[in-house]
Amino acid sequence: MELLLFDGFNGLIQGAFYALMALGLSLIISLNSVINFAHGGFMVVGAYLAFTLAPYIGFWPALFAGPILAGILGILVERTLVRSMYGRSDPIYSLLLTFGFALIIEDVVRTIWGAQGVPFEIPAALGSPVSTTYFFLTGYRLFVIAAIGLATIALFAFLRLSRFGIRIRAGILDLETVSALGVNVYLLRSVNFAIGTLLAGFAGVLAAGVLQLAPTMGDDVIMATFVAVVVGGIGSLFGSVLGGLLIGLAAGITTAYYPAASDVVIYVIMAVVLIVRPRGLLGQEGLFE
Amino acid sequence: MSATVLKIENVHTYYGKSHILHGVSMEVAEGEIVTLLGRNGAGKTTTLRSLSGLTPAREGRIEILGHDTTRWPAYKIARLGVGYVPEGRRIFPNLTVLENLAVPMTRPGYWSVDRVLELFPNLRERRDSWGRQLSGGEQEMLAIARALLVNPKLLLLDEPSQGLAPLLVHEVFRVVASMREQGISILLVEQNARFGLEVADRVYVLNDGQMIHSGPAQELAKDEVRVRALAGAGASEA
Ligand SMILES: Nc1ncnc2c1ncn2[C@@H]1O[C@H](COP(=O)(O)OP(=O)(O)OP(=O)(O)O)[C@@H](O)[C@H]1O
Ligand SMILES: [Mg+2]
Repeated sequence: MELLLFDGFNGLIQGAFYALMALGLSLIISLNSVINFAHGGFMVVGAYLAFTLAPYIGFWPALFAGPILAGILGILVERTLVRSMYGRSDPIYSLLLTFGFALIIEDVVRTIWGAQGVPFEIPAALGSPVSTTYFFLTGYRLFVIAAIGLATIALFAFLRLSRFGIRIRAGILDLETVSALGVNVYLLRSVNFAIGTLLAGFAGVLAAGVLQLAPTMGDDVIMATFVAVVVGGIGSLFGSVLGGLLIGLAAGITTAYYPAASDVVIYVIMAVVLIVRPRGLLGQEGLFE
Repeated sequence: MSATVLKIENVHTYYGKSHILHGVSMEVAEGEIVTLLGRNGAGKTTTLRSLSGLTPAREGRIEILGHDTTRWPAYKIARLGVGYVPEGRRIFPNLTVLENLAVPMTRPGYWSVDRVLELFPNLRERRDSWGRQLSGGEQEMLAIARALLVNPKLLLLDEPSQGLAPLLVHEVFRVVASMREQGISILLVEQNARFGLEVADRVYVLNDGQMIHSGPAQELAKDEVRVRALAGAGASEA
């Protein structure tokens, strides 16, 4: 029972990461119409930048600085590379472009910070277990869940309450009409891409404290992130959250009973969902319903 | 002689390789209501899409409020003071009525969310309903309200009466006519020729991407046979 709790909790944390990554990826797929294979790369960049800055500015400021820098990098990439993909109906171009960019990020990170994994220091107050029975419930792990929960709520509040967020939701279904109403859709797409990469950077910093930093840490997450988006339903942000949590939990629980299958189970779930409900759990219902 | 709000000269527009508009020219003067008639597929929507920058003209020249907007992106044209009510309304189904009204970039001017809700009391009652829950009439009102929030000097309306019950057509008619008092110039695309000719000062008729008629609306309104010949069989039915 304790093992199941342990693996289940691990799965929940894993799922929370997938959900956060999937949210950003889903925003980018929906509004920028780009399948961003470099999403894992932005996660890595956010994590390493926070790692580099933390000794100078401290953990807490670095927790925000890393993601913000990942967001700024996102704007630069959108303006220079991704923008040239708009209007091309064949997704293969954006796929190749972002895939190439993901490889470049990985190599640059390896060149600057080395191929070896490095530990990311977290504040001592967060490091210790909060309970002796449930040794796996460290303060940091609870903090990660709370932080991801808050980030998710903040994103939904932004999309629901701010004018900019409302325009993003409108643009997801009909960008052309948004532009005909005087909204600078180029800016809208840039900022949206930046929000997506910022969320990836935030996931990266949080993940660095659970595991350790490695140039390949994005690779392990990106496939699961895509699975989460597909399972939840492309175009539905709630779906991305649901899909992420679902596959994370499923992988965790599978680990408790049959560890060898824990990597495969998420693809099995995806296959089943695609057969039973091709549009994904919440796909095409639009947002917020 | 009042100022020209819109002037298009010899416009050619394509969708990919298909050549749709073959040298279209027309004008709208300040405070004028101009109706554009034509059969299905004549190129009426394409003309409005060229004007609003959604499908830019490949050749020719479009001048709006004294600016050469031929190559401008759609959002800049809207900000110049062009309101667009697209064919099929294009309400955002995943947004509430109030959220739909939050999308446009509001230029300073008479129209505000409060004012458009005054103009369309139905929308005020339904302000928290999702766009997709609205009836056709409510969607049309919302599309007009949304375009008015741009505080347009020129309003482009693409078949606002389409699919509406006669009573609602009348309501749209009333609103369009009242825009004239606001000094808003209107370019109206209509299948419903009776409605289109009744409100308009002047009329153009498009066929196969070319203008085949232009003149005072009164003149054509009297000649139903001519309307039928120019704009198709369905055009004269109200
Ligand atoms: N996106 C598109 N791609 C290719 N061809 C198109 C596209 N949209 C319209 N067309 C073609 O362009 C021509 C003009 O279409 P348009 O929509 O401008 O006509 P319309 O006069 O508005 O007709 P309706 O009264 O049916 O709305 C038609 O032959 C149509 O098939
Ligand atoms: Mg049309």
